Amino acid sequence: MIRLLRNGVVLQFKILSRSAFDMLNAIFWPLVFATIAYYVFRAGSEPESLFTASLGATVMTMWGTVGIGASGAIQWQRRLGTLELLIGSPAPFIAILAPLTIAFSGLGIYSLAATLVWGRVLFGIPIDVVHPIWFVISLPACIVAIGMLGLLVASVFVLYRAAVHLGNSLEYPMWLATGLLIPLSILPGWVTPVSWLLAPTWGMRALRESALGGSPLPAIGMCLGVSVAYGLLAIVFLRYFERLARAKAAFALS
Amino acid sequence: VNWLRVFFVGGLTSYRALFRWLNPWVYVPIMLVYPIFQILFFAYLGRGAGLESDTFFLIGNAVSVTAVACLFGMGQVIGNERWFQTLPVLLSSPASRLALFLGRSLPTMLNAIFVSAFSLAVGAIVLGVTIPASAVEGLAFAILACSFSCTGLGLCFGALGLRGRNVLIFANLVDGLILVICGVNVPLQELPGWVQTISRGLPLTHGIEAARRVVAGASAGAVAHLLVVEVLIGIVYLLAGIALLRLFELEGRRTASLETF
Repeated sequence: MIRLLRNGVVLQFKILSRSAFDMLNAIFWPLVFATIAYYVFRAGSEPESLFTASLGATVMTMWGTVGIGASGAIQWQRRLGTLELLIGSPAPFIAILAPLTIAFSGLGIYSLAATLVWGRVLFGIPIDVVHPIWFVISLPACIVAIGMLGLLVASVFVLYRAAVHLGNSLEYPMWLATGLLIPLSILPGWVTPVSWLLAPTWGMRALRESALGGSPLPAIGMCLGVSVAYGLLAIVFLRYFERLARAKAAFALS
Repeated sequence: VNWLRVFFVGGLTSYRALFRWLNPWVYVPIMLVYPIFQILFFAYLGRGAGLESDTFFLIGNAVSVTAVACLFGMGQVIGNERWFQTLPVLLSSPASRLALFLGRSLPTMLNAIFVSAFSLAVGAIVLGVTIPASAVEGLAFAILACSFSCTGLGLCFGALGLRGRNVLIFANLVDGLILVICGVNVPLQELPGWVQTISRGLPLTHGIEAARRVVAGASAGAVAHLLVVEVLIGIVYLLAGIALLRLFELEGRRTASLETF
């Protein structure tokens, strides 16, 4: 099982790294959001927030690629004609799907590199990470947590033909609700408890605390905690919807 | 008469067949829900940073939604001919190319106008922004002008569909650029001079400026010069798109690449 997961992540990451569309999403879009954030924060009242904006843009892109990629993961396999083969294989379907969504999240590594270099070269933002070791631990924790959230989304969208578009429409709501660039304190009060359930909140917190100083350990712990919770929920949903799709013979329908 | 039939009936039929986002399961999340949250996101970003008002972000983002509808719309209604393998059949027909392809731009524009107006209205209600009744006329002209100019640029992307297979990559790229450099979310004067020069040659920049001035109290007549420039930019892109369509059709025929992927 571990070999399946590891090889799956590596294989899917390599495939995605060769996709022009996915690489564009991973590298170009964080630069768009980071640039807007730099100008907004620089022109506004909080110039010290520029480095945080880089991290925020990175996590935004992680969710952006996962939201679209994970939602469309099953649709993609359906289009390639491999969905029934994967379902029919002896390996649990979730062990095949999880590496795909984590690999989408892993594209965030490119996003991070792109935003940090962009911020340094164009805006002179220093890359000073206070706890480099914690930062190196926080990054995969964030990637896995967001990838597992993508898995949960994918497991719910099994029967939804236009899943990729629904996933796309979740981009901005997720970015809003998790306080990646916007302080949660200025959003309506009910958003804060919602944000606690969402992986990007804890991933961003772990990266921010590692980079700017603080205690990232609780946030890393929450990343792992929500990952397990998403995984368990995904197993339940996937089992239910997979059975429903088998009963309806609806897997190959596009 | 045949030209007009191809333009109106053919344009609408092609639009319905090739613009895959018309399906309500796609249309609602992408064309209606997505822009509302985009507006909210940037309005709250501005609030968090203490920069500009909600009105600034509402107008910028609601008008910029026309770019999504037009760039992706035109990209799909021409580019999808290749995906559905109908391109050679279409290009072997004797129908006027202008009627064929420009006919598809009309529904694209109408859709962009609807999506933009819807986003503006819902965004204003959610954010509590009051748009004066006197501004409605000017806003309508601004949205119309921006829809036209974005459709012109969209035609260029559509033309690329005769040459390449993944037009949406380019549309995605330009959509991102527009968010940064056309004054949608960042005041133009904050950008470097050379970026401002580029943005002046792109759709939306003048239209958004006109829309903001109108909401601030200017009359439609007072911003007419901005709207004229916006329309002129659209005409330039439209002509470029027509030229590219002709060029890529000839190239496709010469290299027998109309069906290649």
